[in-house]
This record gives sequence, structure tokens and C-alpha cells, in this order.
Amino acid sequence: MTLYLPIAEMSVSVAVYLALGTAVGFISGLFGVGGGFLMTPLLTFLGISPAVAVATCNVHVVASSVSGAVVHYRRNNVDVKMALVMLVAGLVGTAIGVDVVRLLRNAGLFELTVSLTYVTFLGVVGTLTLIEGINAWRQVQSSGMSSRRKSGQHNWVDRLPFKVRFQRSKLYISVVPPMVIGMFIGFMSAIMGIGGGFIYIPAMIYILRMPTSVVVGTSLFQIVFVAAFATVLHAWQNQTVDIVLAAILLAGGVVGAQFGTVAGEKLRSDQMRVLLGVLVLIVAARMGYDLVVTPNDLFSLGSLKGS
Amino acid sequence: MRWRVCAIFLGLLAFASAGMARDAKESIEADASTRQVAITSSFTGTEILLFGTVENSVQSSAGAGTYDIVAVVEGVPAPVIVRKKSRVGGLWINTSSMKFMPVPSYYAIVSTRPIDELAEPALLDANGIGFEHIRMVPRQTAWKESLDPAEVASFKEALVRLKERERLYVKSDFGVAFIGRSLFRATVALPPNVPVGPLTVSVYLFKEGKLLGQYKSRLTLEREGVERFIHEVALKKSLLYGLLTVAMATVAGLAAAFAFPRAM
Repeated sequence: MTLYLPIAEMSVSVAVYLALGTAVGFISGLFGVGGGFLMTPLLTFLGISPAVAVATCNVHVVASSVSGAVVHYRRNNVDVKMALVMLVAGLVGTAIGVDVVRLLRNAGLFELTVSLTYVTFLGVVGTLTLIEGINAWRQVQSSGMSSRRKSGQHNWVDRLPFKVRFQRSKLYISVVPPMVIGMFIGFMSAIMGIGGGFIYIPAMIYILRMPTSVVVGTSLFQIVFVAAFATVLHAWQNQTVDIVLAAILLAGGVVGAQFGTVAGEKLRSDQMRVLLGVLVLIVAARMGYDLVVTPNDLFSLGSLKGS
Repeated sequence: MRWRVCAIFLGLLAFASAGMARDAKESIEADASTRQVAITSSFTGTEILLFGTVENSVQSSAGAGTYDIVAVVEGVPAPVIVRKKSRVGGLWINTSSMKFMPVPSYYAIVSTRPIDELAEPALLDANGIGFEHIRMVPRQTAWKESLDPAEVASFKEALVRLKERERLYVKSDFGVAFIGRSLFRATVALPPNVPVGPLTVSVYLFKEGKLLGQYKSRLTLEREGVERFIHEVALKKSLLYGLLTVAMATVAGLAAAFAFPRAM
């Protein structure tokens, strides 16, 4: 069965996109990530213009983070105050990001920017996740301990002003670092079409030193709003959100996530980190390859819409 | 059913033209099988039939080849940017580009013979018949004083090649067939990615390299039903559209969270 997409202006096979939604949903459920970092490149491989792919992925991120955030909220794993602080800055970052997307599209540099930021971020985050995962795996095998947490250390974060008490996270820290992190990720999510979970989580653990138990819930909680805001802005200013494409991806994603969660319960967290690191690096390598290898055709067409 | 109606119609045309006076000058009449193509959510491309007749034909038979017919179906002209990649520090990056002012978004050409055989290039240029003869004017870019003709040619060639690859520029050298002494027909495929908008149909009659007549008509490609509704909301009420999309995603996410509490 094929459907004509109203914004992407092409006729696509529903089965292919349902399968894509399901596969990405499976990975989201498995690793507890939004999956935008996989979805955006895969959509562009399938021929959706990068601008439409990025904007439409945000819709998928809204749905997957809503469903994750609800579950964590019920288990009291969300630091709402921290989320709101990061969110305020995140929305500003998103608004700037959507504007930058428009400027880059007009300059014909959007595709390159997306590729470069993907390769850089996925490369760095993938490598770190992989190293950490391997170390944790080794520790599990040698001592049976799966987690460790440093405390009592003081660093530059503690010397910043505007300190606020975050009860849920048991922290008394400056609001500056969470705001900077929030703004930066809001900006990146507008450009990359991602929720930013894979940047948020390490930043919250290593820079803010929040307890691991509230990190995932808090991250998902604010991603809901950042991704929703990015979706609305992309729809409003760039007219690149394809609601039909989004609906197909969502339908697959909801189903896939269920299987992913069940599969995830059978894996240890250190094993999952290794797998996630490998997956992220594969995507980075694939995108990097396209930048380096001689293209089939040096020329490409651009119009005022799309790329 | 539609084909049968067309066949009957063609038959009537043949009958009518046979009764025409013999000594008058040749001219052409043509039309498309449809005046309006609806783009709905099930649109996967379509085929339009072009047919017509040479008035006062002196052709002895359908295969005599006295006349040449060329039909061109064009989409709305729009500016196109052609970008060229080159290697910068090991990466392939778009480094140069050329903007062409209105270029047909879609261009299908069908003819009785390859067009280069049936008329002089100048005549084809004047009418924009054939890929190489489409009027493509590069817009002067701010940082360049003058454009290198060889470079312009390479960008033009790339534009046509890329449009052909997207199936937006199509040609069929022997796509027009005479059915009788004066009747001809051709089919043109509209791909699923054909840009939405009106199409111009031009049918030209050539004889011994001379343009004897032409016939122009329009057909419209319009979004209909759900497709039209969504597109209009997305463009005209884009804020509302964005909010609705988010609402849809939120409902899907909540449904997943409550239907399968273990998930995510």
C-alpha cells in the first residue's frame, strides 16, 4: 500500500515506513533513548529531504518521550524543578536553532551541517558510551559491582553563583550549568531532529552529578517540551512537518517500543551501554563515509523548498 | 471504460477530418484525455493520453512519415539551484552553485522521431523543444563578474541529468504514433513526485523541418480530499497544524504508556 505524503510531496510505501518506525521504536524501548539520532539519517537515506526528516522526527521524539516520561513520573523519578530550569533555557536554544536551520537551508549548507554535527556528536558520544560500557562490563566480571559513584569532589561547577536547592536530586548547585546545558541541547535538537537524550544523560551525570535514578526521567520530561516546541516552530516557520509521515512512524514506534522494552529487561545495563555505543558509532561511521567518499554525482539540485 | 470512450472519440475525429476540404493549409488540433488530475492520498502517478489530428492531411498512410508531431508537457517554471561538490580538506562539500531562473519543474517530450532530425536547432531553441533547448538563464551571482560558458553548460547538463533521474524530465523519441492519415496519439507518464500545479500541453506540427502549426492547452494537477485539506492547513494555518501534530504525538505517547505500562 502506498500513500502520498502531503508535505514531502512523494508517494511512499507504508510498509517500509511502518517497519522503520517499529525498528526505531524497538531500539528506543531497548536503550531508553528517543531514537531521533537513528530516524533522521534513515529517513534521508529513503529520500525524504533533510529539512522534512529533521522536523518530522521531532514528532516521533515527542511521542516516545511522553510515554517514557509518564512511566518515570509515576515512579517519582523526575526532578521537575531541574527539568523546568533546563527547559526554560532549552526553549530559547530551540528557537535559535530553528532560525539557524532556515538560514543554513537558504545558504545550501544544511545537509553538510547536519552530517558534520551528527558525525561529531555521535562519534564522541558513541566512543565515550562504548568505553564506559566496556569498563563497567569488566568490573562486573571481576568484582560483581555494576555501578560506582564519585562524591565529595569539588569542581568549577560548585564555584558558580545563583545556587538553588534541587530537592529531588539532593543537590545545591548554581542554575547556570543546567541552563547552559539546556540551551545547548535545545539548539542541537532543532538542528539534528533529536531529543538529545544521549547528550543530556551524560551531561547530567558527569557535569551536574545528579543521581542516576532521576536522570533518565528528568531528561525525558524536558525532552517532551523541547521536542514539542521544535515541532511547532518547524511547522510554523519552515512548513516542513509531514503529519502523515509522522503518523505512520508513530504507529510503528509505539508497537516497536513494547518489544524493545521486553528485550531490554533481559540485558544488563553495562551490556546495553556497549551495544548502544556500537550502534551510535555505526551511524556516525555511515554518515562520515558519505562525506569522505567520492560521490556518484558531484552535482545536486536544490529548490527553495526541501534541501 | 475511459479508453473505450477515447477510442470512439478518436474514430469520430477521423471521420470528421476525412470529410474536410483537400486544398486548405495543414493545421493541427489536439487535446489531452483529461483536463484535471486529482492528487489524492492514493496518488502514485498517472498517465495522460494526448491525441489530435492534422487538418487537411496530405499524408498517404499512417506510416508515410510526412508529418512530425512533437508534444511537450511542462510544469510550472520555478527557480532551481544546481550545486556542485568539491573536496575540501578531505570532505565533499558543496562549494559552487548556479541559480537558473524559471526552469520547468516537469518536462515531458514525446515525438514521432528524435527531435534533432526533424528541425533545425534554432527553431527548437525558439520554442523550447527538447532538453537541450529549454530556455535556462543562469542568474548572475554576486561574487562572480562573468560566467564561464563551459561551466554554465556543465551545470545545465547536470540539471537535466538530475531531473531525468528524478523522472521529472522524460522523453520518448518515438512516442507519438499516427493511427490514420491524420490521427495521432501519445501517452505521457506523470510520476508520483510530479510537482503540483498547472501543466501546459503544447503540440507542434512539423513538415520537412518547418513548423506548420501548434496547439496549446492546459491541464491542472490539483490536490483533492484529505491531501488538499492537510496541505492547506499546513501552509495557511501552520501554527495550528504544528499544535495538532504535537497533540497527535502526545496522545500516541500517552496511549502507549497506559496501554503497556512496562514499556519505556
